[in-house]
Amino acid sequence: MSEPGPPLVEARGWGWRHSTRKAWAVRGLDLRIEPGERVLLLGASGAGKSTLLAGLAGLLDPDESGGDEEGVLLIDGVQTRRARQEAVRDGHAVTGLLLQDPQAQTVLARCGDDVAFGLENHAVPETEIWPKVHKALDGVGFPYPVEHSTGQLSGGERQRLALAGVLALGPGLLLLDEPTAMLDPEGADQVRQTIATVLEMTGAGCILIEHRVEPWLPLIDRVVVLEPGGGVYADGPPGRVFAEQTDSLAAAGVWVPGNGGRSGAAGRVGVGKQVVAVGRSPLLTAQGLAARRPGQEQPPVRDVDLVVRAGRALAITGANGAGKSTLALALAGLTAPAAGKLTASDALAKGAGPDPHKWRAGQLVSRIGTVFQDPQHQFVAPTVEQELAVGPERVASQKKRLFGKANPATTSQIGGLLERLRLDHLARANPYTLSGGEQRRLSVATVLATAPDVLVLDEPTFGQDARTWAELAALLVELLGEGKAVVAATHDAELVELLAAHGEVVKL
Amino acid sequence: MNQKEPEKPWNGPRLYVAVGAVALGVLIYLIGLPGSVSLFGTPLADLTVPIALFVGTAGVAITASTAKAGRWRVVDIVVASVLGVAGGLIFAAWNVASTPLREAMVPPVSALVVGVWLFPAVLGALVVRRPGAAVYTELVAASLSALVGNEWGFSTVWYGIVEGMGAEVVFALLLYRSYGLVTSLLAGAGAGVAVGLLDTVIYYPELAAGTKLVYVVVAMASGVVIAGLGSWLLTQALARTGALAPLASGRTAERV
Amino acid sequence: MTVLLTGLDQREASTAPIGRANPAAKLLVASIISVALILTVDPVTAGVALALELAALPWCGLPLRKLFRTSWIILLGAIPAGIFTLLFGVDSGSTLLGLGPVTITEGSLESAVAITLRILAIGLPGVVLLATTDPTDLADALSQNLRLPHRFVLSALAALRLVGLLAQEWQTLSMARRARGLEQGVRAFGGQVFALLVIAIRRGTVLATTMEARGFGVDAPRTWARRAHFGRGDWLVVLGGVGVAAVATTAGVLAGTWNLLLT
Repeated sequence: MSEPGPPLVEARGWGWRHSTRKAWAVRGLDLRIEPGERVLLLGASGAGKSTLLAGLAGLLDPDESGGDEEGVLLIDGVQTRRARQEAVRDGHAVTGLLLQDPQAQTVLARCGDDVAFGLENHAVPETEIWPKVHKALDGVGFPYPVEHSTGQLSGGERQRLALAGVLALGPGLLLLDEPTAMLDPEGADQVRQTIATVLEMTGAGCILIEHRVEPWLPLIDRVVVLEPGGGVYADGPPGRVFAEQTDSLAAAGVWVPGNGGRSGAAGRVGVGKQVVAVGRSPLLTAQGLAARRPGQEQPPVRDVDLVVRAGRALAITGANGAGKSTLALALAGLTAPAAGKLTASDALAKGAGPDPHKWRAGQLVSRIGTVFQDPQHQFVAPTVEQELAVGPERVASQKKRLFGKANPATTSQIGGLLERLRLDHLARANPYTLSGGEQRRLSVATVLATAPDVLVLDEPTFGQDARTWAELAALLVELLGEGKAVVAATHDAELVELLAAHGEVVKL
Repeated sequence: MNQKEPEKPWNGPRLYVAVGAVALGVLIYLIGLPGSVSLFGTPLADLTVPIALFVGTAGVAITASTAKAGRWRVVDIVVASVLGVAGGLIFAAWNVASTPLREAMVPPVSALVVGVWLFPAVLGALVVRRPGAAVYTELVAASLSALVGNEWGFSTVWYGIVEGMGAEVVFALLLYRSYGLVTSLLAGAGAGVAVGLLDTVIYYPELAAGTKLVYVVVAMASGVVIAGLGSWLLTQALARTGALAPLASGRTAERV
Repeated sequence: MTVLLTGLDQREASTAPIGRANPAAKLLVASIISVALILTVDPVTAGVALALELAALPWCGLPLRKLFRTSWIILLGAIPAGIFTLLFGVDSGSTLLGLGPVTITEGSLESAVAITLRILAIGLPGVVLLATTDPTDLADALSQNLRLPHRFVLSALAALRLVGLLAQEWQTLSMARRARGLEQGVRAFGGQVFALLVIAIRRGTVLATTMEARGFGVDAPRTWARRAHFGRGDWLVVLGGVGVAAVATTAGVLAGTWNLLLT
């Protein structure tokens, strides 16, 4: 059974509408991708990039999902759905799909089994499975034996394992849907290098979706920009497309190379401009602080001495697993110190006592606000509007408990916040249905609703596009100017640089 | 609008089998079961109606599950599995948390707590809307509960199957067409009756027949409220988050 | 809780004759014995079954300490059910102790002993099955030897892998909710369960895409990287299970205590 070479992709007037949507995700798409071509697929959020990849992988079926299809999408002249089924029966794959979420791409409990899973489904004879598994694992430079448990792998290791599972099937076209968006910089580098090696080795083509374009450029021959609900907006070699479409791409959230990339975005929010510090009085003081997550025996962070000051930023950075987030959670009063002390000043505590972790949740929320890495962890209400009202209500009921009266947040206050974070048109939407960038803005807005003096953010720019990044950065600078303290745990070098200009950096 | 009609499950041989099963049920009803054999001191003859109903629905359920409209897609199976796993985790917590409650109450009152163990069956069926979803989801949840370790050990798995069947019968009876509030409450009731019967057979065989009946009724009430109403509310809320969009239950929502 | 949940998807392979048997064989044994014991409530059948099970324990590869650690929780269920029957069960025979409505008679004592022994005898094979079997091997056996539909078995196995992940998510959710100003309580708990379900379903949907993209679910034959053998030794284990059920039932019938529950 010889593996066929890279396939030819053709879309003719192709369109897809999801069963629950009124608008078409993709419509009127005409596109031809030559065998072995390496294409970067760009477009604003909602332009149907992921839908196109799912379609190419042969996973969209109007009969099964109730969606609507127009036109044709062909791979080597065969409809993609049929191409997938024929390939499975023939014992190899035409396309290989790698998605964003590392956790959702591990299927089985042992590394070897996970790679073998696809081979089994393609009915590869038992005797050929294990040699192929070993070859695929070697191909991605996987450091563990086949019996190793998938439970404890890091995100980057998981993505490489998933890639091995895909490669074992010998696909001629890799479909990569933001494969490094949820990885730390080291993990992302490794995955990218692995993909580069694999493309070189196999001669396979690839279609890549990615916002952070720069590091991928050496791999790419062609850039295709999709228009939301429409066809192709721009198409050509990377140099030309980036030069001609700088502004529209930046508006779509792409970190446009040559436009200064992220530092371009940072430039717009004023790195280096020293904001006049308001106050600078200490709000939180850590002495010999050791921090750990619930259920953790050994604290990964020990002997931290630092001061969080009004109007000043504190960037917590360090290698993967150094405990950046763990320290942030402790500073936010969400975990008890494992050792040492975290003391709130009287100015911050306002009578609630010196230990933030002992404050009632209703007290905490008006003093220290925390933005989690995944906004979905913090959603508690059925609409955006109600989501913003929750914090002020909690504060009010806390005050009521103490003083017998309180004024809950007014509608106008909430309206103001919605406008400030460009969420006003979504006031009645369910928070879970928002896009990634909108969810991030909402999670920040919910924290601002209770006007805490200290803001703690855990990887706030994680997986965000350039536009959300710039908006978030501008907002943080503005808040610092208002005299808030900003603490951010992050591995985003540009964000660290920005915050360093307004305060200090702690490297773990 | 623009919704594609799913292929009708009732065509050709499938229809004959289903009609045959219903006819068998009617036959059982007409002839009647013998009064000489008894269950819990109740002559089997008194159970003619429920048994006839069960035979009829089981036939319908089995044939419907072979229909294309009833074919499980991968996403249906995986989501039902994940719901089962989440349910199993909640069982594991409830097994421990409900111990003081259960020890403070004697049967038949203790049957009040069973509803929590029934919700994956109804939830699974409401969310993925496929024949067998109630049994499958409940079975996965029960197996995980046994795997984590609980005081009932391996029999948890049998319980899961029987509880799931109790809910499944209701969805089958309605030909897997109805997933509304009333259906959901009935399915909760079905699961409650199933667990009530099983408990009285395995754990309290020595109870008086009247007390057993009360036990079953209390279990049913618990199933209606916690598993029936609870799962229905949960499904509504889940649909609003858009998480159910790839599933049949998410597709009935208005297009946005 | 978390401690219980870590490593749930992977267990050490057992080397003992019964412990290393095909999981399908162990499952059959657990099923046969539990069905035989569900049929009757009598101390002789249950007692003989339990005694035979305990006699087979040395070949199960489950040291007593480990057994107790995983099965004390079954004792926890067996004893209250026994005590309940003792106090409130149908009275018969001579009264041993009477305190108002609560009477302990020879009849209720016999029932109590029978019920306690029965719960233990049903539970033990299940404990051995679960403690000596790796879920992946169980799934292989279920789909290859017992011919259960592999799409369901493998999906359940894949979902099982999310357990540890969901436990972690639960802890993060607890902190995230405190950060939003929500105190711990019944209502907050309900909201947190809901949030966990949303996350679980989303993950499940992506996982389904991953699996389909690797050819899962296409209506075509499938091969297995590891063949699950059901050999002579496995048949012996099943035969042993049938033997336990048969000997116990025969003993109960001979002793005249065996009574078919459903009549």
